[in-house]
Amino acid sequence: MSKIQKDLTNTVMSRIKREHITMKPRWYFILGSLAMVIGLVGLSMLSIFFVNVTVFSLRAHGPMGAIRYQQLLSSFPWWAPGLAIIGLGFGIWMLKKYEFSYKKNFLLVILGFVAAIIVSGVLIDYLGINTFLSRQGHMRRFYQQVEVQNTTFPRGQGQGRLNR
Amino acid sequence: MPEINILSDEELVVLIRTNEKERFTDIVERYEDKLLRYATYLIHDENKAMDVVQDAFIKAYINLNGFDVKKKFSSWIYRIVHNEAMNSVKKYHKETPLLQNADFQSEENIEQDFTRKEIIEKAQFCLDQMPVLYSEPIALYYLDEKSYEEISDILRIPMGTVATRVSRAKILMKEICQKYKKI
Repeated sequence: MSKIQKDLTNTVMSRIKREHITMKPRWYFILGSLAMVIGLVGLSMLSIFFVNVTVFSLRAHGPMGAIRYQQLLSSFPWWAPGLAIIGLGFGIWMLKKYEFSYKKNFLLVILGFVAAIIVSGVLIDYLGINTFLSRQGHMRRFYQQVEVQNTTFPRGQGQGRLNR
Repeated sequence: MPEINILSDEELVVLIRTNEKERFTDIVERYEDKLLRYATYLIHDENKAMDVVQDAFIKAYINLNGFDVKKKFSSWIYRIVHNEAMNSVKKYHKETPLLQNADFQSEENIEQDFTRKEIIEKAQFCLDQMPVLYSEPIALYYLDEKSYEEISDILRIPMGTVATRVSRAKILMKEICQKYKKI
């Protein structure tokens, strides 16, 4: 064994002893992985929700498009797509932290992730789930705030009726 | 106690994690030479490379419970050294001088040793002229004899990209070395 090698081994081992360096426990890493999964799922759900709110608000763009369009621009809840984009951004950042990300075509993974979020958001609106939610408990007030400046055309059950 | 030498790195890690923390010495001994060489051609400074490898071993020890023993330990520890070396390069943020006499231990005779050193020196010179984007994969492939899959795990890039970079690096290396010959 060369002198350099011996020195390095001794230095590393004595640093471990001298500085009382210990291994992080196993649960620390399990908790970290769990937090990542929960974070990613949470962000995805948040993004889906805000995409859905965006689509819900966009339905105000009914007949007399041109006039309505101006109205839509001034009254549109821009924070909804904004929050959806922020959620997507953090989601992509978290995806990048996963080990599989460099083994696959990451651009495709991102596109798939974004497409899945948008399709889910639109699907929830198409199936009338948010129309249903807008009539339920806590969500009612939220959807009413979104609706208050827009005249929505609900889908799903009770289609065509104004739900204000 | 099992014979340490016949244990794989991953089996040794299991042993260290369970009750024989002192056995981390064996891990250091197995890898210090390779990692020192790897860090040296990344940062071109033997003293800084020494610090980088030292810090990498300490980090590896702290995070040993986070290593998945189903995977290759060598890729994991190389990755840590890569990160540490990149941090060091960013920290000092300057072109570091070329190594004049890298100490590669060998028990071969003087003539062979001289030829080898000359080849290594030439290769090192050509490698140093290349951007790290290409020099790192080709060095890992030829000097450390890592597979494309291992390089992919160390550099966190797809295997296809590794193949492309190695192939481009070979062309670049040829061009640079031919120019070097003329000089």
